[in-house]
Amino acid sequence: MNSFDKLLTKPTSEIQEDVKGLFEKFNLRDNPFPSEPFVNKDANDDRINGKIFEMEIRKKEYEQMVNNFLKIPRNDPSHLRMGFIMDTSYIGRGNGKSAFLINLHRKINEGFALDISNNINKSFSVYLSPEPGGRTKTFSQLIDLFFKSILDSSIIKNCLAAIRLDALLSLTPDFNPSKHFKDESDLIEKLNSTEWLNENKINPGMLNKKILENKYLISLPKEFPLYEIQGSLLTPEVVTQDHFKEHYLNLKKGQERLEFIFSHLVDFFLAANFNGAFVLVDDFERIPDFQSARQKRDFALELRNCLYDGLYKNAKMGFYTFILVLHAGVPRLIQEAWSDSGMENRVPITPSRTITKHIIPFEKLNREHAVSLLKRYLSEYRIKDNEKRGRNDELFPFTEEAVYKIAEVSELNASKILKLSYDLLDKASTINEQEKIDEKFVEEIIDKNIMDSETKKSIASAETTDLLKKAQGD
Amino acid sequence: MKIEEKPHQVKKFYLLEYFYVLLKSIEKNYRWEDIFETFKELKSNFLLGESKYKRLKIDKQNRAGKRIQRTLYTFMQVLSEAIDYGLISEHKKEKSYQLTSEGQELLLKYEKGHLFDFNKALFMKMENRFYAFHQIINFCYEANKKKGGLLVFPGYTPIGLGFEKSKIKTSGDIEHYLKTLQRKLEDDIKEHLNRWMDLTGQRGMLIKNLIESGLLPGSVSEKFDPDKYNSIIIRIRKFWLGEFLKKIYGYKYSYSSFDIWTYRGKQIGVIHATEFYPGFSGKIIYPTSVITNNKSSLDFEKMFSYSNGDYLYIHSPSWEDEKNREKFVDSLLDAYFNLKKASRSYYINLADTRELVCYNMKISQHLFNSFLEKAYFLNLKGQLKVKISLEADKLPQETGALYLKRDPVMVDGKYRNIIAIDVSKRR
Repeated sequence: MNSFDKLLTKPTSEIQEDVKGLFEKFNLRDNPFPSEPFVNKDANDDRINGKIFEMEIRKKEYEQMVNNFLKIPRNDPSHLRMGFIMDTSYIGRGNGKSAFLINLHRKINEGFALDISNNINKSFSVYLSPEPGGRTKTFSQLIDLFFKSILDSSIIKNCLAAIRLDALLSLTPDFNPSKHFKDESDLIEKLNSTEWLNENKINPGMLNKKILENKYLISLPKEFPLYEIQGSLLTPEVVTQDHFKEHYLNLKKGQERLEFIFSHLVDFFLAANFNGAFVLVDDFERIPDFQSARQKRDFALELRNCLYDGLYKNAKMGFYTFILVLHAGVPRLIQEAWSDSGMENRVPITPSRTITKHIIPFEKLNREHAVSLLKRYLSEYRIKDNEKRGRNDELFPFTEEAVYKIAEVSELNASKILKLSYDLLDKASTINEQEKIDEKFVEEIIDKNIMDSETKKSIASAETTDLLKKAQGD
Repeated sequence: MKIEEKPHQVKKFYLLEYFYVLLKSIEKNYRWEDIFETFKELKSNFLLGESKYKRLKIDKQNRAGKRIQRTLYTFMQVLSEAIDYGLISEHKKEKSYQLTSEGQELLLKYEKGHLFDFNKALFMKMENRFYAFHQIINFCYEANKKKGGLLVFPGYTPIGLGFEKSKIKTSGDIEHYLKTLQRKLEDDIKEHLNRWMDLTGQRGMLIKNLIESGLLPGSVSEKFDPDKYNSIIIRIRKFWLGEFLKKIYGYKYSYSSFDIWTYRGKQIGVIHATEFYPGFSGKIIYPTSVITNNKSSLDFEKMFSYSNGDYLYIHSPSWEDEKNREKFVDSLLDAYFNLKKASRSYYINLADTRELVCYNMKISQHLFNSFLEKAYFLNLKGQLKVKISLEADKLPQETGALYLKRDPVMVDGKYRNIIAIDVSKRR
């Protein structure tokens, strides 16, 4: 073998080029279903971050949300300041509440609800989920989390750019935004950058001065971040979201932070032309689960104070609308605190017989919903469109009966339906001759699974005390 | 001396509180008619005599009439058993009744809230007369020596086996269900009793019974009366319960007397019976007491002395003993985590947890409830190694989803049905 041989010699075992991908026979790039169907908003995988979502199956809930909340003018004094998405299905977790909420959140922020409300309202949305294990237990902990979500959503950055653009246009009427900015996000970046302002000979100090003429901002205290650079026209630097963060962290827990969130920030958002905001609290039960009766009552009282009856700007005008997601057991957990604190008179948590607008029942899915849900997931992972394949079978490889069966054994729980679909598709992909997933296949797999799970905690293997031996002192 | 066991002579009612209701009615009245009136009223106040099963089909015609007839039947049964026990005296001529001093004493026990003493006194009476517990407890231990007298009675509804009710229309559909059921039952016998049995013959017999009693038409493709669906399913369940009891465990007497004694035993605390053991579909029974002439452990309380030198001891470990406290908390923890795995939520069903702990420790529900309450108070004082949270979620009767009633757990004066345990606080 000369020295080039190893570069030129071909191996004897050739690569087979016609090997198919695992899910290719089903016209799928990958298994479209989540293996662990728990929604994580920040995940990159579309299967679990709530992006693949069939709004059609939650049309009723969505419409109630739009008609009872999003479309009601904010200057209507009776607009709702709190609402509940209440799971009435009693099938436990995984009914699709989180996925619904995340999509609602995205939908609101897409057009700041202007599109949804026909320009009546301009609102943004903040999504938050209390930390598990009782780490979010007090109202002030919830507020810290709320502020963190505000930062994560970059809404402050957004508002800063908006009020700067507004001021810029009134300072230099011939300023043409489309000359300077490629798109919205470019605009937001540049108007939050000291360098860009300097490059374009715009003095941040002057700009800020103009901004502070806004009627909502005049009354803000002098410690508010926008005032920080007012005195220093010489070495100006734009105020960014980070300044807000720093300011918040320097505030004392309790009264000072509440004042900031429920009065000062409200003014700031109003100055940026928002007239409301939605605070979507997922998994609310994580809070009362770990509260004592007293903590529950204190929590409800603070909520009442900040949303309805306190001296905060928000309490006066109802800027924030809190939407709490409750599973079926929660009302009972907080009922007492709710009535002790007077919240029951404002937003009753016990469903009454009459229709209450602030409660949006989150109902169990039906079989057709399951079909729509599967179609939606499958369509996201198709290699070729169904039409190009010459067949219009959106459910392939599932048959409709199979989906009904899946829905039935999953007790119509969205998360269980997805998990089971994942398992079935995974299993079918490894069996060569399994060209479709029909009712029979579903039954076979389920039978096996039931056997597996039953043997695990079966009474046949459970430990017990032998009383006869024990009696004799063994 | 040989003990003459007569479990089959039992009067047909389950709940021991009927005795209280009867005694109370006689305390207030002496004429038969008045006694019966009060009895009816108290019975409904105490929610007694409601079927353990939710009514499956409401028979509108003759409903009131039938109910009175049933109540009258129960009344007569309780009355005659109470006379037998010398709790009341009867004046046949005037058709009037009076409490004896023993009856008065018993009534007082109940009213003072000494429920265990009330039950125990009745237990003495019953055992003196029938020796039924002697018979049943020994029978359980005999039937399944290896597992401490555990008797399983697996049962599966069509839905439980994946059949849709709407698709079960013909004799053939029922037969299909019965075949699947047979396989499941055979598997269960193998798993729980380590025996292999072919139940094909029994299945054939069952189908024959169903056809002969007019519930099923004779030909496979013929539809049965949909109104009879529930009756058919109940008949099937009862058939297999009976088969298990007689053919597999070898019980001599009827299923109904066995059922009555086990539920009476459950109220006293000497036997446990449940249809809700998590992960098991059907009914299980096991003794929480022993019959022996040789006991050295302190965790048992003597309930009865037999003439042959045997004693019946109920298993009642004392909370004062630190070992028992630890054992209970560990068992509770095990059960909690076992169930939590499946539910993925902090709160899990308390009644399910109770089943696991009762079986693990072989204690009665009463004892579980009392231990839980004591552990809960220690936890409130911060003296327990884990943190226990008990709450009331939607109660089962409010969901309408439950077919059978379950005994509630009362702790600190409130009904609780969900539990969460936090071990991070483990001290």
